[in-house]
Amino acid sequence: MIELSGVHKSFGTLEVLRDVTLTVPAGSVTVILGPSGSGKSTLLRCINHLEKVDRGRVRVDGELIGYRRAGDKLYELSERHILKQRAKIGFVFQTFNLFPHMTALQNVAEAGGGIELLERVGLAHKAHSYPRQLSGGQQQRVAIARALGRQPKLILFDEPTSALDPELVGEVLDVMRDLARAGTTMIVVTHEIGFAREVADTIVFLDEGRLLEQGPPTEVLDNPQHERTRAFLSKVLV
Amino acid sequence: MSLLSRTTASPPGVTEPPSDNLVVVPARHPWRWIAAAAVLIVVAQFLHGLITNPGWDWATFFGYFFEKSVMDALLITLELTFAGAVLGFAGGIVLAPMRMSKNPVLAWVSWTFIWVFRSVPLIVQLLFWANLGYLYDRLQIGVPFGPGFLHFETSTLVSAFGAALLGLALHEAAYAAEIVRAGILSVDSRQLEAAAALGIPRLRQFRRILLPQAMRAILPNAANELVNLLKSTSVVYVLAIGELFYQVQVIYGRNGRVVPLLLVATVWYVILTAALSVLQHYVERRYSRGYVR
Repeated sequence: MIELSGVHKSFGTLEVLRDVTLTVPAGSVTVILGPSGSGKSTLLRCINHLEKVDRGRVRVDGELIGYRRAGDKLYELSERHILKQRAKIGFVFQTFNLFPHMTALQNVAEAGGGIELLERVGLAHKAHSYPRQLSGGQQQRVAIARALGRQPKLILFDEPTSALDPELVGEVLDVMRDLARAGTTMIVVTHEIGFAREVADTIVFLDEGRLLEQGPPTEVLDNPQHERTRAFLSKVLV
Repeated sequence: MSLLSRTTASPPGVTEPPSDNLVVVPARHPWRWIAAAAVLIVVAQFLHGLITNPGWDWATFFGYFFEKSVMDALLITLELTFAGAVLGFAGGIVLAPMRMSKNPVLAWVSWTFIWVFRSVPLIVQLLFWANLGYLYDRLQIGVPFGPGFLHFETSTLVSAFGAALLGLALHEAAYAAEIVRAGILSVDSRQLEAAAALGIPRLRQFRRILLPQAMRAILPNAANELVNLLKSTSVVYVLAIGELFYQVQVIYGRNGRVVPLLLVATVWYVILTAALSVLQHYVERRYSRGYVR
């Protein structure tokens, strides 16, 4: 289970996240929607401490991320401990970020995985190809296999299909659908409303760093309560 | 041009062949031939002078090219180059991350080191190290500002060869640090972010993710620096070390055949640089894995 409580984050004077509180049960899929600049990516990056939160807490399975509490003080963890915590949280980037000097299999192996993970994303036959020899969709599937390498409790997806040609989006969403069916805990930032409607247990709408609305897809997508959500959806659902 | 003139000259639809089997005539480049001929004449004249000018004294050149003292000197040149490169790049690999460190003391020390050793001409530095004994006649190892355990006479510790090596290594380290830093900067920062997100330990990130990718940018510059170092070893002649350039000077000081002996050194430097270039080609190919389709 992932719990965010009162999370604040600023870059200089710009407040990117304001008092975000969110609970994601284990085995569920949460999709974060929102206009660009609304803090979606930052929220994901706070969950695995790629960004430090200014205020508030992030807990994964009850464990405080990035800090250790002793009495009434929070001590920032050493980098070594943070790296250990991150190993339990998979992260899939918009730009894949595979290691270009390693084959698909070496990329997965760098995270402790093996050929069976490439099989799971349907790319065992590309095990010895370098990222540059793969299509965008294939690269993202390798990146997902790599994220699975540490057997994470949770996988965060940061716009995983936004950098792909339209005809390659489907293969990546298929892999994510399979993961969701297998009971993987996932938090997904995406603009793929169809995927959100089909796969998400909860949809969260973020605007200017505030969590405006959350609920099952039927509620948030079909009967949004907030004016901003309605405006956003009317632009996206054409 | 023939196509164009024919099309405009002939009345439409009379002599034109069917448009699907027109012959393509490549453009001609007469000026390329003229320029090539002019340059070849100059080159031929130069080669003719090289071969027929008795001043080159080819007999003396070949007499000394493989001569024992020249071979020994060549070995010293290679030793200085190899040791200077190994020590220099070892220093560079430490100094570059130091300069990029968040620790201001490390960054400042590295910056200052690079600044100083890039500023001082190699020849000046070499003379300084050779004369270290005037500054400190004894060196000791011990507690900083406290008592010492080991004492050395500076003149016995820092021989001429030691001074030369020290100078070359420090000089190289300053340049190597900047070459390594350029390589590190060339790697997409998202690579380290991906490694951090996977929880890969810091040292492993550097060794497995950062350095192999940085090598692609490091290698051409490092090869350049290595060639530079090979030639810079000739400067240590000021410390009377018997490397290649010093040795040919000794010989022409004896027999007065200056030009052919300078040519002996020149041709050896050219051959060694060619060998380094071949080595560079293979090492670069090794690190281009994953970058060519």
